[in-house]
Formats: sequence, structure tokens, C-alpha cells
Amino acid sequence: MKLTFRDVHVAYPGRETPALIGVNIEIAAGQRVALVGRNGSGKSTLILTANGILRPQQGAVMLDGQPVQYDRRGLAALRRCVGVVFQDPDDQLFTANVYQDLSLGPLNLGLSQAEARQRVLQAAEQCGLSHLLDRPTHSLSGGEKARAAIAGVLAMTPRFLFVDELLHHLDPWVRREVLRLLCDLASAGCAVVLATHDWALVRTWAQHVIWLEAGRIFRQGHPSAVLTGPECPDLEGAPC
Amino acid sequence: MGLQIDAFAYANRLSRLHPAYKAGCSLLALCACLVLDRPLASVIVLVLMLALTTVWAGVPWRAVAKLLFAEGSFLLAGVLGIALTVSPSPTPGSVSVGGMWVGVSAQSLAQAVAVFLRALGSVAALNFLALTTPVPDLLEWLRRLRVPEVLVELMGLIYRFTFVLLDSLGHMTLAHEVRLGFASQRATLRSAALIGANLFIQAFRRSQRLEVALRSRAWNGSLRVLPWQDAPRPQR
Repeated sequence: MKLTFRDVHVAYPGRETPALIGVNIEIAAGQRVALVGRNGSGKSTLILTANGILRPQQGAVMLDGQPVQYDRRGLAALRRCVGVVFQDPDDQLFTANVYQDLSLGPLNLGLSQAEARQRVLQAAEQCGLSHLLDRPTHSLSGGEKARAAIAGVLAMTPRFLFVDELLHHLDPWVRREVLRLLCDLASAGCAVVLATHDWALVRTWAQHVIWLEAGRIFRQGHPSAVLTGPECPDLEGAPC
Repeated sequence: MGLQIDAFAYANRLSRLHPAYKAGCSLLALCACLVLDRPLASVIVLVLMLALTTVWAGVPWRAVAKLLFAEGSFLLAGVLGIALTVSPSPTPGSVSVGGMWVGVSAQSLAQAVAVFLRALGSVAALNFLALTTPVPDLLEWLRRLRVPEVLVELMGLIYRFTFVLLDSLGHMTLAHEVRLGFASQRATLRSAALIGANLFIQAFRRSQRLEVALRSRAWNGSLRVLPWQDAPRPQR
């Protein structure tokens, strides 16, 4: 399965400069992809476009070679395959407890209660949340909230998982756990696209890097080929 | 106190009891207070509900007393208007205030005490429910009672995001405190106004992010979730 952006242009209403300009990318199942770039370079816009929240004014997003349809059925099909974990877990934990929150996505997909329950238990197991299912969401720690946010998306069994700068406020131990989980997902065939500012992580973790600058693809490819030259902030050395 | 109430709701001896029993108990006590309309009945309800909350449910009496004291203070302020009588001519024991005579008559005092006790008994009955029942249980029960889904969803969202906003409020207050935002009365007023405005903006922005996150999870207009009662509850 492949997710393809073909010459995608996205502009926000009322803004002069488009957020994405002529973006061409292809993400294959099981790939570990890092999405890098400055603040405001278009990373989050790309993620929202992949999930169908934003619709390109020009170009097309294609799932397995078929252009995405932006009607109710088409968007449901897209969101069944493309999941997004946002930066702040508090923005995506909607219900009073973990169990109910994980069930939201599967039920939205039209699954029966028995199937949804099965998915919830699987996702909780995958993310190490089985013992926290009865806990109120507001009582979770930062790391637990991050894992609950991921589990909420995994319960929808996506084939492409976009993670938008979720790691930067996690402590190194929880971060490691979350990264391990993302690696397991990729090994199981789910493409993981991680938007991050952590260049050291990108070098070691990613198989493919997409580097955005002012809404355009600046470079993309294998980390060893992309993360070179004076443009790389981590190669400049300490500022003082 | 809000967070404490929630913590007790999950951690008391009755938290696993079906909410219908607790709500029934609470409503019965509330009706007794309102229908019987006698101070003695109110006192009996008050004592009974306090006993149920502290002895049966095991909620620490200090926490219950603190909550009741806060609520009682509001009620006291409310019944002052009933206790005080204002008349243009002097009455026994009244004092002159700006050309009017303000006093307390035996009848008005009795009425104020009766209203105060009735309200306090009712509040204690509702405290019992709030301190012993986790909100998801209550919401689930309301769903089963066929309360309109939109109301239950709204209650759930308000409950969830009260804590998120409280969290933001805590961070903002701290940020003002470290910059001497509460060093004087004037600064306190200014900081409170700024925090209030900022909190409103944050709530608005968060609601936008919330909608995006909901849509990304194939939201179709209704927050359908699995019944909370079916959640596996591991023994701890």
C-alpha cells in the first residue's frame, strides 16, 4: 500500500503564501519516515492533508494509486488507513476514561461494539495501557497520555501513522518506549511518519527523510544523503 | 476542591456500586428535604447523608466537612436576606441604617434557619452522589435512562476539559507568580484579568484543535463510545 502526494498545493484562507507548494512524496507500507523542517515550514499542514482534514487546491493525494475522494465515504476510507497523533495528547483525549477514548475511533468506523472492544483491548495491549483502561484520562501522566493518544489511533488499525512532534515533551525513558512502539508498528507493516526537530533521532531512526522549507520539499531521501551540508543545524556545532 | 471531589469519587468504598443505587439514595434524601420542609427532617437528612458519605463510603470526614463548609458559606450569604427585615418604622431590636430600620425578628430568623437547613440537607445529599460516583458511571447511567445523547456528550466533554483548563490555569498562574504578578493588590487584579482573557483564548484555540483531532478519527457528529461498565477493571 502507498500514500502519494502528487504536486500538492495547500493554502490557508486569508494567507498570501501557500503552506504547501508542489509537494511530491511517496510513502510505502512499513517505512519509517522523518518529517523535518523549521517551525512553519508546512509539516503539520502536510499531516493534516494526508488525513483529509485539509484539501489540496491543486494536485492530488492518492491512496494506492487512487485519488482520495473528499465526500463522507471517501474521507472515512482515508481515515481508516491514515491515522494522526497530534502534538498535545490533551487535544485528542476526549472522553472521561481511557477505555471509552480508545473506542471512539473504531465505533466511528462503523464497527460493532464487540469488534470495537476487541480493537480497544488490542491497542491497549500494544501500547502497554491494559492496566490503565479504567483510569480517568485527566489522571494519566504525560507519557501515559502520549501512549493513550497513540492507542486511540491504533485502535483504528491505520496503515499510515503520522505523529506530529509528540516526542519533544516526553522524558527520555518514555520517549524510548514510544519510539520502540513506533518501530514495532513499522515492523508490522504500518508506515510511521514522525514530524520532529530531533536531528540526531532522524539520523538513527528514519529510513527516509522529508525535509520541508517554506512549504516546499527541500530535500528527501535516505538520511545519509539528505542530512549533509551546512544547512543541517546539528552539524554547525555549539553556538557558544 | 474540584479535583479532590473527583479523586474521592474514584477512590471510595462505593465507587463500584451501581450509580442507580447512589443516585436513588441521593434523590430520596433530596426529596425528603424538599417535601417534608421541616428543620428536624433536614437535620436528620444532613446527618444521615454525612454518615453515609463518611462511614459507608469511607470519604475522610475532613474533606466532607471542608466541602460542606464552603457550600454552607454561600448558603449563609443567601439566607441573610431572609433573616434581616427592613422596615420604615422601628421594630424591637432593629437599628437605623440610612433612614430605614434593619432588624431580625424571631419569625424571619426561624424562616432563615429552616431554609438554610433545607438547602444544606439537599447539598449534603448531592455531595454524597458527587463524592461516591465517578462521572463516567453517571454518564453511562444517564445514557441508559435515555437522556438525550447530545446532553450526555456535552456533560462528558465539559467534565473532561474542565481538567484541561484547570491545568492551563495552573500553568498561567505560576507564570504570573514567578514574574511577581501577585505582588500587590493592583498586580493581582491585573494578573487575574490577563489570566482570564488568556484562558478564554486558549479554550477557543483548544476547541479548534479538538475538532481537528475528532475529524481525524473519523468523527461523524456523535461521540459514540463503548459502555464504561464493560471496561476491564484490573485489581490493584
